[in-house]
Amino acid sequence: MVEPSEWRAPIEAAGLAVRMEEGMQAATLRYFEPGGAFAAAVREATGAALPQPLEAAQSADGQLTLAWRSPTETLLLTPSAERLAQLEARLASAPDGCLVDLSGGLEVLRLTGEPLADLLCRLGGTASVPRFGEARRSRLADVPVLALSVRPAEALLLVDRAYAEHLMGWIRETLLEFEGA
Amino acid sequence: MAGRRLEAPAGAWIDRSRSVGFSFNGRPLTGFRGDTLASALLANGVRLVGRSFKLHRPRGIFSCGIEEPCAVVDLGRGARRTPNVRATLLPLVEGLEAVSVNCWPSVGFDLGALTGACAAFLPAGFYYKTFMWPSWHVFEPAIRRMAGLGQAPRLPDPDHYEEKAADADVLVVGSGIAGLAAAVAAAHAGARTMLLAGSARLGGALGARADYEVGELAATARQLGVDVRLRTLAFGVYDHNLVCAVESLSSEGAADLPECVLRERLWKIRARAVIAAAGAFERPLLFPNNDRPGVMLAGAAVKYAFGFGVACGERAVIAANSDSAYEVAALLAALGIGIAAIVDRREGAAPIAGAAGLRVMTGAALRAVHGARSVRGCTVASLEGGRRERIYCDLVLNAGGYAPAVHLHSQAGGKLRWVPESAMFVPDGTAPGVASVGACAGVFARGAAASHAAEVGAALAQGRAPPAAPVGGAGRSDAVTRAPSGRGKQFVDVQNDVTAADVALAARESYRSVEHLKRYTTTGMGTDQGKTSNINALILMGGYTGQDPPEVGTTRFRPPFAPVTLGAIAGRRVGRLYRPLKRLPAHDWHAARGALFETFGDWSRPAAYPQAGETLEAAAQREAGTVRKRAGLFDGSPLGKLEVFGPDAARFLDLMYVGTMSTLETGQARYGALLNENGILVDDGIVARLAEQRFWVNTTTAGFERTLASFEEWLQCEFVDLKVAVTPVTSRWGNVTVAGPLAWEWLAKVGFDAALAPAAMAHMTMRETQWESAPVRVLRASFSGELGYEVNLPVDLAEGLFERLWSHAEELGAVLYGIEALEVMRVEKGYIHIGTDTDGTTLPGDVGFARGIERKAAPFVGRRSLLRPAARDPGRLQLVGLVPVDGQTLLPVGGQIAPNPPPTLSEGHVTSSHLSPELAMPIALAMLKDGSQRTGEEVRVHHLGTSIAARVTQLPFVDASGARVHG
Repeated sequence: MVEPSEWRAPIEAAGLAVRMEEGMQAATLRYFEPGGAFAAAVREATGAALPQPLEAAQSADGQLTLAWRSPTETLLLTPSAERLAQLEARLASAPDGCLVDLSGGLEVLRLTGEPLADLLCRLGGTASVPRFGEARRSRLADVPVLALSVRPAEALLLVDRAYAEHLMGWIRETLLEFEGA
Repeated sequence: MAGRRLEAPAGAWIDRSRSVGFSFNGRPLTGFRGDTLASALLANGVRLVGRSFKLHRPRGIFSCGIEEPCAVVDLGRGARRTPNVRATLLPLVEGLEAVSVNCWPSVGFDLGALTGACAAFLPAGFYYKTFMWPSWHVFEPAIRRMAGLGQAPRLPDPDHYEEKAADADVLVVGSGIAGLAAAVAAAHAGARTMLLAGSARLGGALGARADYEVGELAATARQLGVDVRLRTLAFGVYDHNLVCAVESLSSEGAADLPECVLRERLWKIRARAVIAAAGAFERPLLFPNNDRPGVMLAGAAVKYAFGFGVACGERAVIAANSDSAYEVAALLAALGIGIAAIVDRREGAAPIAGAAGLRVMTGAALRAVHGARSVRGCTVASLEGGRRERIYCDLVLNAGGYAPAVHLHSQAGGKLRWVPESAMFVPDGTAPGVASVGACAGVFARGAAASHAAEVGAALAQGRAPPAAPVGGAGRSDAVTRAPSGRGKQFVDVQNDVTAADVALAARESYRSVEHLKRYTTTGMGTDQGKTSNINALILMGGYTGQDPPEVGTTRFRPPFAPVTLGAIAGRRVGRLYRPLKRLPAHDWHAARGALFETFGDWSRPAAYPQAGETLEAAAQREAGTVRKRAGLFDGSPLGKLEVFGPDAARFLDLMYVGTMSTLETGQARYGALLNENGILVDDGIVARLAEQRFWVNTTTAGFERTLASFEEWLQCEFVDLKVAVTPVTSRWGNVTVAGPLAWEWLAKVGFDAALAPAAMAHMTMRETQWESAPVRVLRASFSGELGYEVNLPVDLAEGLFERLWSHAEELGAVLYGIEALEVMRVEKGYIHIGTDTDGTTLPGDVGFARGIERKAAPFVGRRSLLRPAARDPGRLQLVGLVPVDGQTLLPVGGQIAPNPPPTLSEGHVTSSHLSPELAMPIALAMLKDGSQRTGEEVRVHHLGTSIAARVTQLPFVDASGARVHG
């Protein structure tokens, strides 16, 4: 068990690397009709359509990730605070929907490595494991997590900031004894 | 003579070139790699392994598997001591230390055996009948000390456990020939197939004999990619085909284990189809002293001989009620083990082995087993009586028929049917999601079992209905409804010392249901859960009550199938991972300033900031007193926060809260009480309007999840036409609360806009503004009763604001304050805390919100329930203040208010109680019957034998005019 102050430290073991993304901006897009006016405004502002159920996608430049969260909600990630501010301003007057800034409230854990699925199966159910291009809401390590994969052999775990230490602690202990099978 | 090693080729499972040293009850012994503890003990001639649960009778090794009722031992020492491990399943490892359970000072000389002399006073259900004078409680401690088997370790478990999820198209539980055939067929058909084997080897009962077909199937299974998991015992089937299993990962009991190992893994497997191939248990027979060391199951003797190369004795008598006795006799005789006789209780049984020159006695039974700590012979007589014959033997084997292991089928909700010819219950068709094959389906003929299992495997892989099981092959076995006569106890359940006489007693005392029989006699309980006793018990019960076995029925099989360690169930949930605790954004900052953290709801929060030598209570008094006079800084970040957006947001909040939110102007805030549909108060908070279609909702910390769930449920299930989006933002916003007369002065020192000054910003308003270019939402509200500002700002900035404010604390004489001080102050103000001062019966009118309800004309959730007569009963418990009459005694929380000491009808109870630093006396909140009409009345508070006089007072205790919150 690591000391409390070290819980954010990256982990590398058994072909897996886990690190907490610093400075990732997050927002949720809320709307009442996935094909309505707000969706059109999002497409115009981002160049991307709202994702289909369980879908996650990233822009070619890696600057924008959209992940389905529920029939009336899409999660937006970007490393750029300016980009988020621009989007927020552009969508402020869009009808039938809103953007709620969640930056800082969500922690993003980036997991890379081939044995990814094996690790996630030790944190929660098999339904928690996103395939490439998927976003899945479930419980990992007993806390609610949105897991998404927009690159092969990589997953992002989005967890409430307050639970991030618990999730990292569970992953760290698991990886210490991880054999990948 | 006891056991000995047989020459090779007997002993397919052991490696004679690898000697393994171990100790049993401190005695150093050796075995071979591949041995179990049981086989090694037998090979070393150890017969006496433990003492029985109640009567402390000497017990030996009874079986060769999971059904073992007697040979349970405590393994290891210190923190790694594991109680009640079945020696029959425990792989032998170097340095293993095992000790007998339930004996003192030793298994050979056990003072507890004196209970045997008192057996007449210890019949079934003795604790309901005897030891009643002068009081059961006089004897209870000693009886409880004597009860139980092994000893749990007193130190924390040093090892780790984990859980893992998996899914499969077809999951096969059991690795005998039927399980292997089913897995191979399923994999052939293209199904992702997983196979669980409880032992370290594939093959089940046949594995001991190096069976060619088993070997071929095992090899094919691996070639086809079947995910084979050894030492993985499935112990339960749950909803929607969830199968849970425990995998043993470490060498239990080994001396050279590192400081910490990953010991077990709990598997949670979702399978489209489950195939149970768990085999069957052999049934023992009833005869006097059928529990002596050296009496064991016949099939077990064969496994020990062929698998482990151990002869369990030199000369055996086989007590038979099944054709299997003859096969056992032939197999053992072929290895040179003497068969003195086959004593077959069935009249006219085919003497299969008689042709081979073995002595067969049909229509006969054992009338006595001689020897106390080891079998030294037995007495046999015909069932009708007649001449008794004493036969020398050192081993008595039970071949009483079979009991299919229907546990998984039964757990899945499957029904059972009785097969009278073989006196056994078998699955009646398939259970939802679970099909049975092989012996556990009642298919004992080898060829039929393999072919049926293959058909089932293929069918389930292809999504077809599995074919019916061709039940048969177990041969004839009588249902023995009366224990044979003879001297000595006849045990139905050898683990729990339940005798045939106990079952008869239960019948005489009018117990009829097998469930009642189980609870009255304890048969079928314990670590073995009656795997060798259930069928005999219910047959016997039927005999005594004139019922056929199907009428008696079986007890309901429930998980776990076998004992599971608490460590495996807990998995990673120990220590800091015991439960998910939410961490404050400025956790480390508070820790550096001496915060004493405690758990409140899901959060780890500062309870107080004690100074050197200061108690928590004293710190809270100091902090609260300073906030009242100067100012205090509080981390309110855990306060629940929601953003409610949409064209119907105002209307929705009107429906959800007692307060009317649609009339709020932008920037205004209002208190809201949240009710459930029964009108019960479930949360409260503050709603502020940010824009025409956008609201900020503060919930209580503990009630956040409840409120969010309630909002979503009503939106998704009832108010489906409303266009409203509810977004939780608790973790997005840090909350820095500044309270006290100097609160604004403090904020001004760090650069907050003058527009937030009390003169410019009224109580219960919210401003969206900026602080050092960062967006902030400042709410004028107070739970302390003092001038208060709740500064909500992006969470990453919270620690910075704390630090900036704290740098001015000394000049202002201000403090940090924790939850305990806040509690003190809110009680002084008479503010309720939902869940502390309220419970699942509290209506808003009970805590003073009646006027708010009357004022609101619009509908809201729970309103109709408030019109019920019970809700308008003037005798309801109502919130009041209490002070001790002596002005000194702290009133105990939970203390009951009544004119007389209990037992009596309670008139109410104390809900919150503190020493008030403002009043320098104890104060309390209480819920009191008709409380609003009893101001000034003296009542008595009773608590744990004490009685305290208290006076009912009006609320609040402090600042009745409410002037302080306005600054």
